[in-house]
Amino acid sequence: MLTWGVVAVLAVGVYGQRVLGMALIEPKSIGDRSRRVLAMVPLSVLCAVTALQTFSSQNELVIDARVAGIAAAALLAWKRAPMFLVVVVAAAVTAGVRLL
Amino acid sequence: MRQIPHGTSLQTGEAWAIAFTYFTVAITVSLVHSTAGTPTWVIVAATLIVNSATATLAYAAVTTAGGSVAAGVASGWLTSTRFGVLAAALAPRLWPQRWKRALAAFSAFDPNIALANREEKDEDVRRVYVAMSLWLVLPWWLGASIGALIGDLVSDPKALGMDAMFPALFIAIIRPQLTTQNARLIALSGALVALGLVEILQGGLPFLVAALPALLALRNREDRNS
Repeated sequence: MLTWGVVAVLAVGVYGQRVLGMALIEPKSIGDRSRRVLAMVPLSVLCAVTALQTFSSQNELVIDARVAGIAAAALLAWKRAPMFLVVVVAAAVTAGVRLL
Repeated sequence: MRQIPHGTSLQTGEAWAIAFTYFTVAITVSLVHSTAGTPTWVIVAATLIVNSATATLAYAAVTTAGGSVAAGVASGWLTSTRFGVLAAALAPRLWPQRWKRALAAFSAFDPNIALANREEKDEDVRRVYVAMSLWLVLPWWLGASIGALIGDLVSDPKALGMDAMFPALFIAIIRPQLTTQNARLIALSGALVALGLVEILQGGLPFLVAALPALLALRNREDRNS
C-alpha cells in the first residue's frame, strides 16, 4: 500500500535519477565516440525491457500467455503493421490464450 | 501520413497508439494499487509526482509480498534506474540550458526518448521529445486517475491481456531501428543480457548492464549505414 510518505520518497528517488542523467551531463563535454555509443543506449535498454516484460515476472523467468500475444505483435511489427494494431492484437491474443 | 511536429519522423498514428497504450496500462496500474489498499488520492498523487509505474509497481510487489517499506522503496528506486540511463543517452542532443533539461527530465520515459532519439537534427529531437512527452504523460495521468476512481470495476486486468501491451508497443518502436547489422546485434545483446541476469541481479540492475551492448556502436565505423 502506497502512503503519502512513500510517494514522496519514491518521487525524489525517481526524479533524482532522471535529472542526474539528463541535466548533470554537460552536452558540450560529450565527444563524438561517446555520442555514438549513447545514441544506441535506448535501443539496447528498450530491448532489455521488452525481453523482461515478455519472459519474466518479478525476477523470475516465466513463459505464459503473454509470450503468445507478444509473438503475434512481433510478427505484425515485422510486417510493418500500424503500431495501434500491434498493441491491440498483443492484448487480444494474450487474453484469448488465457481463456483457453 | 501526417507528422507531429511537422517535419519530424513522428507519425500521428504512432502518437495515438502510444497515448492509447499508456492510457490503458495506467488504468490497470491504478487497479493494482487500489487492490493493494492504496487510497484513491494517494494513487492519483503517485501518478502525478512519481511519474513512473515501474517504481510504484516495484514497491507494491515487494510490500504485498510481505517486504518492509524500506525494501519496497529500495526496490522502487532500483528498478527505475533505467530512466536515468535513458535520460543520459538523450542529454547530449537536448537543450544547452541546464534548467530546460532538468524540467524535461521529469517525463523521461522509454518511448519518448526512443522516438526523439531517431531524429537526425538536434532541433527535431527536442520537438519530438516535448510533443511525445505530452502525448504520453497526459493520457497516463488521465488513465491512472480513472483507474483510481473506478477502483475494482475491472476485476482482472490480466484477463484482458493488458500486461502484453507495453512489450508489444516497445517492439513496434524498436522494429524500424533495426536497419543495420550493428543495430540488430545491439538489440539482441541487450535482450539476452537482461534475460541472462534477471534471476541473478536485483530489480533494475539487469537494465543497467543491458546498456553496455551499445558500446558495439564503436565497431566497424564504415559499416554503420550499410
